[in-house]
Amino acid sequence: MNTTPQRARNTVVQKAGWAIAGIALLALPLLLGACAPKRSAQEIVLWQFWPTEVVRPILDAYEKEHPGVTVRMEQLTWQNGLEKITAAIASGNVPDVCELGSTWMPRMLDAGALTDWTQGTADLRDGLRGWDLCSTGGHYYGLPWMLGTRALFYNRTLFARAGLDSTRGPATWAELKDAATAIQKLGGGVHGYGVQAGERYILFKKFMPFAWGNGGGILSDDNKTAVFDSPQNREALEYYLSLRSVGMMDHQDALDREFKEGRLGLEISGAWLLKSIPKDAAGLRYGVALVPSPEASRGTHASFAGGEVLVSFKAAKHPEQALDLARYLVRAENALALAKVAKSVQPATVGADTASYYREHPDEQVMVRQFETAFPTPNHPAWVEMEAAIEDEVEQALLDKKSAAQAVGDAQKKLTELAAKK
Amino acid sequence: MRTYSRGVAWAMVSPWVIAFALFGLYPFAFSFVASLTDYSPLRGTAHFVGVSNYARALNDPAFWNALANTGLFVVGTIPFTTGLALLLALAVQPAFRGRTLFRVGFFMPSVVSVVVLALVFKGLYAPNGSLNALLRAVHLPAPSWLLNPDTALPAIMAMDVWSASGYYMIIFLAGLEAIPGELYEAAKLEGAGPRDVLLHITLPLLKPTLLFVLVVNTVRSLQIFTEVFVMTHGGPLHRTSTVVFALYEEAFTRFNLGYASAIAYLLFAISLVIAWLQMKVIGKPGGMHE
Repeated sequence: MNTTPQRARNTVVQKAGWAIAGIALLALPLLLGACAPKRSAQEIVLWQFWPTEVVRPILDAYEKEHPGVTVRMEQLTWQNGLEKITAAIASGNVPDVCELGSTWMPRMLDAGALTDWTQGTADLRDGLRGWDLCSTGGHYYGLPWMLGTRALFYNRTLFARAGLDSTRGPATWAELKDAATAIQKLGGGVHGYGVQAGERYILFKKFMPFAWGNGGGILSDDNKTAVFDSPQNREALEYYLSLRSVGMMDHQDALDREFKEGRLGLEISGAWLLKSIPKDAAGLRYGVALVPSPEASRGTHASFAGGEVLVSFKAAKHPEQALDLARYLVRAENALALAKVAKSVQPATVGADTASYYREHPDEQVMVRQFETAFPTPNHPAWVEMEAAIEDEVEQALLDKKSAAQAVGDAQKKLTELAAKK
Repeated sequence: MRTYSRGVAWAMVSPWVIAFALFGLYPFAFSFVASLTDYSPLRGTAHFVGVSNYARALNDPAFWNALANTGLFVVGTIPFTTGLALLLALAVQPAFRGRTLFRVGFFMPSVVSVVVLALVFKGLYAPNGSLNALLRAVHLPAPSWLLNPDTALPAIMAMDVWSASGYYMIIFLAGLEAIPGELYEAAKLEGAGPRDVLLHITLPLLKPTLLFVLVVNTVRSLQIFTEVFVMTHGGPLHRTSTVVFALYEEAFTRFNLGYASAIAYLLFAISLVIAWLQMKVIGKPGGMHE
């Protein structure tokens, strides 16, 4: 029941309520704004994926070299980094400098969101490797920072047990097959070669080294025609499939685990093992070798060339300082400082393998050398779909749903369609 | 009794309303608009394309494959999750020593992050994992669960049943507790056996709870993503690719946000129809006492 004074009081309360609601609404953006750190004019924003404690000292040195400039660094994760970067580009609120994985580059280059650094980086062209990762049509849209590739890891103990020469890894396909066969025969849960089961973004990097090494390819040099259906690729896939009988098939993390536990003789893997083996399997006696070539006198020790590049976006607020910071980060000593701690990547610096650090760490040196004969993926806008097409077909062959020839032929059809889309 | 005006009420709920409008309604409306365009976040361009994204989805074998996998997942898990949850609830409802321990134990998987569970199960299902070690010990075949196209989805489904049942058990427990005790007393006096009590009192009065569990679980199962993302990434041979996984791939690896939004809306429509059918068939949602 509403009496008049009560109604009056209610009106007042009502008004006060609306006022509170209004203030809350108005204050919200202010509150949100207050939560965000303020940017000074000289603040450059860097988004990257390495642990803060690894990168911060390098940035501190940069700040010392550039009084008045501060670098605000945010660490992204590989799980959601791309989503965050995409959202930043869509909203126009981008960092000044950003680290990008090389496999993302085709999309980024196609979207036209990156700053053209052709002019400002010309003097670095001879000093760095991996320019393929960040260039298209003669223009350069980034600086190669860290390079990553895949090499052959082998277990020396199992080699010795199987009566093989444990001082060096197999150098040819035949040697690899023989070694895997001998180790597989040891039995007792020990396997010869770790064949990569179908796994998106990974299977490709485990199979293509054999195809590239055999002289096969994916697209023509101008990226316009698919050249996947070749005798070289068919032969490489047949060889890869034959490794199943002298090994085990699983996802990468499982293969790495088996290798670390001493139950897998050989696998193609990445330099992250160099970091995790001392931690997880300190006693493991292992070696790293270049991916075997088809024959001693034929083919190459090819592998997958990937890595991380530094880029800036057209919407960046400090374009000049961005380039300056990127140039600083790729300096030989800074890239090496990061690579030493990270271990899973190596500096893009030409001749990095001759640095005293790599001379003292021969396994890591192999990774640097492996990159010299590694192949980058084509910078085609439909690359993600192309990689998936190749992986789908290789997976079909691995699961005995198709022959090697069928798989290679069907991949060719899909690639031709995708290449024509552009 | 003291009454408060609408203004105060709105002020009180305003933080939630604002957050809901910003993070719920706005993206909901935005993605609908996006579904009618060829929006690409990287390019920052969007052109109106009408319903062509919807037409594309309906002509896309990958979408139908994802829908079939999702359907299989829903049909293959819901009866088991619901049945197991009900059984667990009935088992831990009566007072007995250690009841809380069992309740907590069964509920525990719901508290653990799905990513953690998925990683644990990935190890469990590995060719050399614990499950296969167990199977080998009793001389049973030990397949590569997540690598075999025929066993990958069922393996994920089994994990889902195991991890989700405890959560729905709690909901069933709440439903059971709400059934008035005098009904059971009356039944006892009338000489009804445990089977009669279950069939004629417990289950009929649990119907609203059952409906709630079915609708909520169906909607959740239609959105299955994390397990797939962590354990199989849609493989082998796309046999575990679900609708939400497919739309994630479209949105965040191919950047076809317009197309991905259309897939999301199709899934939304499917969820609505299924929930409506469930309500129609099982009964109107009402109070606990019909």
